[in-house]
Amino acid sequence: MKALGLGLVVGGWMVAVGGLVASDAMMVRLVAALAGLATSLAGITALNSAHIETAVWKTRGH
Amino acid sequence: MRNERRSLAVALAVLGLVTIAAPARAADEAAAEAPAVALTTADLKGISTPSADDLAKGDPGGTLTGTAGDIVMADPKAGLTLADVVNQVGQNRIAINFVWTLVAGFLVMFMQAGFALVETGLCRAKNANHTMMMNFMVYGFGLFAYWVMGFAIQQGGSAGISNLGGMNPLNNEFKLSLFGKDWGLFGTKGFFLSGNTYDVGVMVLFLFQMVFMDTATTIVTGAAAERWKFAAFAISTFCLGAITYPLFGNWAWGGGWLSQLGVNFKLGHGYCDFAGSGVVHSVGGLTALAVAMIIGPRIGKYNRDGSPNAIPGHDITMVLLGCFILAFGWFGFNPGSTLGASGNGNLRIGSIAVNTMLAGCTGSFGAILYMWIRFGKPDASMSGNGLLAGLVAITAPSGFVNTVGSAIIGLSAGVLVCLSVEFLERVFKIDDPVGATSVHGTCGLYGVLCVGLFADGTSNYGGSWNGVDGSVRGLFYGDPGQFVAQLIGVCTLVGVIFTLSYVLNWFVDVFVGQRVSADAELEGLDLPEMGALGYPEFQLVTPGTGHSVDVGR
Repeated sequence: MKALGLGLVVGGWMVAVGGLVASDAMMVRLVAALAGLATSLAGITALNSAHIETAVWKTRGH
Repeated sequence: MRNERRSLAVALAVLGLVTIAAPARAADEAAAEAPAVALTTADLKGISTPSADDLAKGDPGGTLTGTAGDIVMADPKAGLTLADVVNQVGQNRIAINFVWTLVAGFLVMFMQAGFALVETGLCRAKNANHTMMMNFMVYGFGLFAYWVMGFAIQQGGSAGISNLGGMNPLNNEFKLSLFGKDWGLFGTKGFFLSGNTYDVGVMVLFLFQMVFMDTATTIVTGAAAERWKFAAFAISTFCLGAITYPLFGNWAWGGGWLSQLGVNFKLGHGYCDFAGSGVVHSVGGLTALAVAMIIGPRIGKYNRDGSPNAIPGHDITMVLLGCFILAFGWFGFNPGSTLGASGNGNLRIGSIAVNTMLAGCTGSFGAILYMWIRFGKPDASMSGNGLLAGLVAITAPSGFVNTVGSAIIGLSAGVLVCLSVEFLERVFKIDDPVGATSVHGTCGLYGVLCVGLFADGTSNYGGSWNGVDGSVRGLFYGDPGQFVAQLIGVCTLVGVIFTLSYVLNWFVDVFVGQRVSADAELEGLDLPEMGALGYPEFQLVTPGTGHSVDVGR
């Protein structure tokens, strides 16, 4: 789950930069950058969810 | 009758314009006709200077000190020459820029004191020594890492900074050639500041960039406070100062690929980050997020059902004093980022300083307003964080926007930081005792985007920026390409810098361990980690846990 999350984070950046080299059209680049950012944020969410699974408050409770 | 009045008004307006324009046109014509007269060495011979007797009487009015007699002559026997005067002018410009940049760097260094007070005040008294020591030692660990390799990676290929004399020894950038473009990745000159980088201009740049890096490293200590093992903190700080920060610094400020998005891909002026919302604050804030994820929340922060508990800091006066010190230091951070006060449009420092002041004030206003409406009371710590949020957000755009833009940026950042703190605490379950991720990460990224929105196209730093002629202009002023360039910068921060920080700190966790033991955490880190209490004659009791530390016996 953590590896998947990190993969999404990096993959999002690759989508954004890929848009630069794929097209000269500003709209295409803008959409690629936004899609890349959304993917990276989804990756951070997945990574964090994996961490919460083993969080100290789930095991100890206070 | 109405038409006659209108015609009269138009005639008067035209007459007024002609009257105003006429002298200007006449002056232009005179300037065009008058031949330029070259100054010669002979002209300098007739200039009188105060005699030794006059100077011996003292100069209470300040009219005798600083004349032609003070110009350094290459050959005193030959007297003052035109070359002497011209060289002195050149050296004066560089001297003004050196002094400006150094003093600004000293102000930024003093921000460490502000961070130390804010973070320590927002932590519990039982961790005061530990939190203060982390803030104290980032200066040492970070500086060492940056001197060894960080500066070379960041600035090793940044030759051409004319404000500081050219930086000619920093002339080697490692580049990859892909898709027909050069992608600058890191510099290779300046390790240990040795070889031909033993240069006065390079030293000034090193000092200024070093204190910026140190600001990024000190952001992380806040998010991981009250449970971070000191050894892990030391190694993590070294990694940030030596690798993570300098890499992004190179891409944005050292001639790297992000700064070349304008030249290579026609995206505005490439990624623009005037003073470091992205380079400094987002890098620090995203690293703080990575460490906070790995290290986990403090014991007692969340109940078993996931609902959060407030863990108040122990000294709000310390927090607000720290915020004031930070706001003061920011006048070095943003205006100092011109790297000069003379030439190349650097007189814009006045505008940058006002933008900085405005955004900080509107940021605290936005936060206090939000908290007052939402919770019924003006919250002191969030007012402080609102001030910092406004300052963080204006850091990247400060050199490119007008005062209205800066006020809007600050106000919105003040609200944004409150929303981000709540979101991270309640939804993401991230325990960040000082709100560092929200203040520096969220608002840093927001500041980067604001360049692409609010840059008004009036700045002129030598006629170009990042190798693209003209001034930086955002989406609201007609350049959507600049906004896309800023978005690529944000994607890089989130996609690459966060990942790199996460992986490096994961290694630290595996080999050293990031978190202290539960017993040490409950006792407070001052004794277990540092061997001495911050407040040795107090009895420290942790509310809610019933855990107490008896001291002074």
